[in-house]
Amino acid sequence: MTRQDLFELAARNMRNARLRNALTTIGIAVGVASLVAMMSLGIGLQRFANQQLMKSGMFQTVFVTSRQDPRNMDEDRDNNAGTKPEESPALDDAARAKIAALPGVEEVAPEVRATAEVEYGDHTNFTMLAGLPWSARDEDSLEKMKGRFFTSATAEEAILQRDFAKKLDTNPENLLGKTIVVRYARRRGGGPEGFQIERQQKSFTIVGLLDEQPYGGMRMISRARVFVPTQTALAMDLMQPADTQQLVRADPAARNYSMLTVRMVSATQAEAVEDAVKKMHFSAYSYLDATRSMRRFFAVLDMFLGIFGSLALAVASLAIVNTLVMAVLERRREIGIMKAIGASDSDVKRVFFAEAATMGFLGGVIGVVLGWLIGRAINLGANLYLQRLKMPPEGLLMVPLWLALAAVLFAVLVSVVAGIYPAARAARLDPVEALRYE
Amino acid sequence: MSEAPVPAAPPFTIPAIETVSASRHYRMGEATVRAVDDVSFTLARGEFAALLGPSGSGKSTLLNLLAGLDRLTAGSIRVQGAELAKMDSEALAHYRRLSVGMVFQSFNLVPNMTLADNVELPLRFAEFPRAQRRDRVHELLAGVGLEARAEHKPSQLSGGEQQRAAIARALANRPGLLLADEPTGNLDSRNGQEVMALLEQLNSQMGVTVLMVTHDPALAARYARRSLHMADGRLLAAEVTE
Repeated sequence: MTRQDLFELAARNMRNARLRNALTTIGIAVGVASLVAMMSLGIGLQRFANQQLMKSGMFQTVFVTSRQDPRNMDEDRDNNAGTKPEESPALDDAARAKIAALPGVEEVAPEVRATAEVEYGDHTNFTMLAGLPWSARDEDSLEKMKGRFFTSATAEEAILQRDFAKKLDTNPENLLGKTIVVRYARRRGGGPEGFQIERQQKSFTIVGLLDEQPYGGMRMISRARVFVPTQTALAMDLMQPADTQQLVRADPAARNYSMLTVRMVSATQAEAVEDAVKKMHFSAYSYLDATRSMRRFFAVLDMFLGIFGSLALAVASLAIVNTLVMAVLERRREIGIMKAIGASDSDVKRVFFAEAATMGFLGGVIGVVLGWLIGRAINLGANLYLQRLKMPPEGLLMVPLWLALAAVLFAVLVSVVAGIYPAARAARLDPVEALRYE
Repeated sequence: MSEAPVPAAPPFTIPAIETVSASRHYRMGEATVRAVDDVSFTLARGEFAALLGPSGSGKSTLLNLLAGLDRLTAGSIRVQGAELAKMDSEALAHYRRLSVGMVFQSFNLVPNMTLADNVELPLRFAEFPRAQRRDRVHELLAGVGLEARAEHKPSQLSGGEQQRAAIARALANRPGLLLADEPTGNLDSRNGQEVMALLEQLNSQMGVTVLMVTHDPALAARYARRSLHMADGRLLAAEVTE
């Protein structure tokens, strides 16, 4: 029998038990809809989480520390830090240049942090000062801040956290364009005996007020209150925590960085750069490492959502079995007639498979539309809620094309599997007995 | 599966049906029922034969064996030279589709299909070219005088009309052999005569070999040129009428 004849016969049979087949098809549709809604929630949440992390630029960043640094993030630090100098090289300018030369690296910024006292009018405040690299101007929190970014990488300008600025002036907006004096510890000189530390001060013009912590609060410098350009901070010879470590080592006056922040052009290079840096005998850490567990979480979440979503479809598949077994009983005589006039066992089987597949396909298509509508409704509700919280709208549920197609295919597959038993039963019918049946 | 073939004419000596010790036994609990037992006969091509016998004599079982709907327990059945016992279920379906037409006492039309759809059904199984199907269905229904009833459902027709439609369906793929199981059993005498006239016409004009099961000796005497008698699953002495 040709495929066209097969589906014509199947369609005719289904029209003859319209209500029952329609109900079964709706059952499949509800199953597929629940699957699609669950899966689209998983996909939407994952995308949402990824977007938030992407905004922070975290995936494009690798943090490099020396293996000698007891504060570094390498979990296996004690084993990795060799005893020979070449196994734990210093994180100095030479290292910085070498890392900057790696392919895909956009910027290598040393992390500069120091305690400082800020004086404005008759207010003084003790706080943390940090350098912001030039690339930070694209950062979400800095794009949204009041005022503007530094005019140049060496400008003597400062950006303040709004909460800190409030301590200097009850109306922080007034501070823009004003001058503050920053007092800090400066490192000077150097020789076999080490270096000296002296008190210094410097004036900065306030150009910006931050409402959020830079880099989504995920870096050490994020918690600083006063930000100046990294290059300016370096030129100030701020006394760094790494300096005291260096003091006890072979070359006490050498200038080392406690941490280099390596920024890639795109997140896809992070892994390669991380590996290359590790081969240089430095400790490297990226948020890809941290998100590995997040991705695992989403994989498990997707699986659970998929299983729960499939439950309804599994129930619907039982309805298919039921519908088709009923059809086999009802059409017993008809099957006998078909066999008597030349239908083979496989023809009979294929007619039932075609009916199952048709219900699966129709149920799948209706289910995808239904699932999409459910997703839209949830999105709409969620966004109304977000709007009331004065937050930007988000697409929480996503039905990508692949999910729609896979859902329909899955529905057809499940239906055909459900059709195996009834179809086999129909094909096995003895025509002589079936014809005797009234 | 193009144009249903008029079987590539085998040598004239090959009979339409040749059975040798054909047997069909069932087990019913402890007992063995010998529904058809050691039946041997030959039917030449173009014959019109009646298979007579009381209820339960095994006529219908023999007919089902010949139709390829049931399988032999022992012995052999050759139809137009092809051994049915050696066929697998697929080959047997192919045989039923193309070589033999079946007509039943209770017509066995599919109730929710129109006559045209019923007649088209064997053409679908035979993958008869779609373009020529309408014409073929039309021709078949015209042949039994039911052209005007093509779009009617079986329930809208008289018994005689239903049986004629069933005959049209049986002939769809131009089989050389027509097996009829009490074709007039459910019909009044006028309709019965019409159906019998049709079978006679098919036999004489188109050369279709007809084997008809009946328990009515008068009917057999009137239409069949040969009668086979069965009792208790066995074939009694064959007798030729006319």
